[in-house]
Amino acid sequence: MASSWISPPTRTELIENLVSGVDRYNPSNVGILEDYLYHQTRTQEYDCLANLAILKLYQFNPDLYNPDVVIHILIKALGASPLPDFNLCISLLDERPVNASLDEDDPLPALLPVLNGLHHLLYRCRFPAFWRAYRSDQLSNLRDNYTVECAGFEESIREIVVRAVKSTFTRIGTDRLSLYLDLESPEDLKAYIDKLRWTMNSDGTVVSIPPNPDNQIEAIVVQESIKLPQLTKVISQAAKP
Amino acid sequence: MSRPTLWSTADMDEDLADAVDAELSMYAQQGQNPTIYDQLGAQIEQLEPFLAMQQHMAALAAVPDVVKSFIVSFHQAILNRDLPSITMFYTTTFPKLTDRFYSRVEWPEPEIIAPLLSSSEATEDQIHIFLVLYRDLYYRHVYSRLQPNIDDRFHSYENSCELFNYLLNSPSSADDESDEPAPVDLVLPEQWLWDIIDEFIYQFQVFCSWRSKVKSKTEDQLVMLADGTGVWSSYSVLNVLYSLIQKSKINEYIIALKEEQGKDDARSAEEIAESISPYTALPLYRTLGYFSVLGLLRVHVLLGDFTLALKVMDQVGEFLLGGSGFGAKANKSSLTALPALPATHISTHYYVGFCYMMLRRYPDAIRIFVTVLNFFQRMQRMRSYSGYERKDQYDQIAKTADRTLALYAMCHSLVLPGSPFTRLDDNITNTAKERYGDQMSRMSKGGSDALVAFEELFLYACPKFINANSPPYDDAEAIASLLNADPPESTEGTSPISTDPTQRHLRLFLASAGALSPLPTLRSFLHLYTSLTTEKLSSFLESVKVSEPDQEAAEGAEAEEEAIQEMMVLKQNSRSLSRVAPVQGKGNDSSSSGFSATGSLLDGEMISTSDLNFVIDDKTIHIAESTVGRRYAGWFIKNTERSQRVLDEIRGSPFPVPKVKIASGQKPGGPGAETANGSAAETTQKKAPTKTVAWGGAGMRTSVDGQ
Repeated sequence: MASSWISPPTRTELIENLVSGVDRYNPSNVGILEDYLYHQTRTQEYDCLANLAILKLYQFNPDLYNPDVVIHILIKALGASPLPDFNLCISLLDERPVNASLDEDDPLPALLPVLNGLHHLLYRCRFPAFWRAYRSDQLSNLRDNYTVECAGFEESIREIVVRAVKSTFTRIGTDRLSLYLDLESPEDLKAYIDKLRWTMNSDGTVVSIPPNPDNQIEAIVVQESIKLPQLTKVISQAAKP
Repeated sequence: MSRPTLWSTADMDEDLADAVDAELSMYAQQGQNPTIYDQLGAQIEQLEPFLAMQQHMAALAAVPDVVKSFIVSFHQAILNRDLPSITMFYTTTFPKLTDRFYSRVEWPEPEIIAPLLSSSEATEDQIHIFLVLYRDLYYRHVYSRLQPNIDDRFHSYENSCELFNYLLNSPSSADDESDEPAPVDLVLPEQWLWDIIDEFIYQFQVFCSWRSKVKSKTEDQLVMLADGTGVWSSYSVLNVLYSLIQKSKINEYIIALKEEQGKDDARSAEEIAESISPYTALPLYRTLGYFSVLGLLRVHVLLGDFTLALKVMDQVGEFLLGGSGFGAKANKSSLTALPALPATHISTHYYVGFCYMMLRRYPDAIRIFVTVLNFFQRMQRMRSYSGYERKDQYDQIAKTADRTLALYAMCHSLVLPGSPFTRLDDNITNTAKERYGDQMSRMSKGGSDALVAFEELFLYACPKFINANSPPYDDAEAIASLLNADPPESTEGTSPISTDPTQRHLRLFLASAGALSPLPTLRSFLHLYTSLTTEKLSSFLESVKVSEPDQEAAEGAEAEEEAIQEMMVLKQNSRSLSRVAPVQGKGNDSSSSGFSATGSLLDGEMISTSDLNFVIDDKTIHIAESTVGRRYAGWFIKNTERSQRVLDEIRGSPFPVPKVKIASGQKPGGPGAETANGSAAETTQKKAPTKTVAWGGAGMRTSVDGQ
């Protein structure tokens, strides 16, 4: 689980060396990492640690700072909820020098509260509210300029929904699910459900979710397990003549 | 006469350039540094040399004789590489003299005491390095007891650079012409080495927070800061730590140790070290390298990079944190190969645990905190721990432990009530309740009051975060606008990027904690049922108004929807990444098996952290609880071992001579037999008191051994 987060299988050797070595502090490598980020936005791949390395370089070298890159990193991190990626990125956004923000329009200060709000809705599983907010007129700037470039952004949000739903439900009402997934037409929903290999009942009101470790519950009585090392003293006593 | 060794400004420029290890080249803007040192040097040069000399002589005369002889012997001990004496001078004599003569004033300046050293047969280099070490103590004393001024801040940085440069880039020997650096022949106690690294980072952190307060600076300070942007820069600090790690090859050494473990013909730690590099062969470098890894952990946390902080611990972490406690048995052989100081142990666990907390991996955080708090309690019980009779050091440790306890209290409230992780160690939980009972009860209730409690504890217990960069002192215009700016509230407004890094981290943490605040109430309702409808649940929730105040009053279907979304949050938060798959039996068996399997600190498996599990079947919630069955094994094992020991003792004792006086030793069984043979006991009633004491004593001892 965590290992693909620490080192996604799609990460190339070049990036791996940058992320794991001291070369990550070399400002001249920022281009490579930024290219890698754009590659991620185009391909639905995601590499949190590589993106954090970009933010780290920005932290140490404020003159490298590129607000568009930061926004794309945050959008990518949104899709990783409920993992703490988004917060980890924000943690690295140091205070911006005053003069840098005066020079030209920095879109980040305006968008950051918006992204924060979206992240908060996702983290609290307020999916319908998330879609409402995301589709609202106020956020047209974010949609038209940023998320549109991020291939599969909406898809990644739906995956968050799927993860939450499939661990919580064995059966869920179709209306509710369509609201969560923001798939209003029954055909779209049907196609999506089929892709997941979930099943809909005959009158199309309830979707059944196949069993998985999280939606199987049973009352367990935890029994103690005795490990051999605990018994070494006793056993070694028995071995004595 | 003393001046050239002290203010050889040409050397300093070199030092700074050299400090950038070529293979590492940290790309700092070091180039700007020399100017400031030139200036500093020039200012001092302006002083009339003879006048200064006279003043020094007078000042030296004023130094108490006992201090003078201390300095001479201290110097001699370092020349002789006499570790026990150095340790004694460092840990005992120096603090004692500080208390006696210098509790309110600086130690004599290095220039003043320098003439004392030249009488011995030391070379100029040796005198020089002693003065560097002396200055390290001198500045540390200034930072801890007095108020450092801007000169102290700049000079302590420069002295640290000089020291590290000496360690990293000294030429192999005086007669060897090659420029290849070689290890220096210096012996210092581990505690001192830890203090060097620890203080280096501490001074960096203090400087950064001092630097970020633009408004309180005087004109002179502004000028100096404008010129000295490279002083205490994040890059230079990281550079030192990475260079020490790389020179000492500490990670390679640890990997080699690990590989060697379990082999039959395992080489000794010394042999392994020698095979790696001439630097690794010396304990001085190994220790510094190891402490630098721990130092990096701390610097990364201060800069807000929690993943990188854990990543640098990849190799070291398993050794330090692998076992169940200090001197863990599982890794004993390797642990002894690395220094283990209580201060190191506690500080490292504090930072690692904090990282886990910020990564929302509360079970891991709790486990780390429990380990170290147990260690601290044991340490408290033996206050006379060698080397820690010094009150200030002990106080430092106690303070970190107290903050760790506060973090523990927070994590305890963040894993849901009833989670096995709240019961990991009842003893620590009780200690936390005694200390932070008020906050803990508020945190567990949820709602806005809980957030206030979280905020209180977070601000008390969090590390002192810093900004990576200086305010733009070198940009006169920008700094002027900062100086004239209104208080930050009005300019920053609602922007989530706060100027104060602590506030930024606090807000992130509170957002995470706040999302969990309705869950305890939700859980308490679920706890009562094995199944209930979502409708019913939402009506319960309505009645207690757990929903956040920012949500408009929800009704009917909306309230139900709200409840269901909250259920998903609950589900989501009863899962967590954990470095160790839970050992369900908990308690005694947390030591070996569970821990050794996982490697890096970032690694982990998804585990369930809750004892209450549920699933929603369309409109019905089904609930199942896990309970822990009674545990007998520990009790049986303990008592088997105890009776076994008693039996052994009896077997081992000499056959009793049939004399009334010694007849008491004749007792044929353990304590249990006492009642069975009641009649026999009665016959020797007269001697009974002594006998019971003897048995009681044995019993006491075994029970102590048993645990």
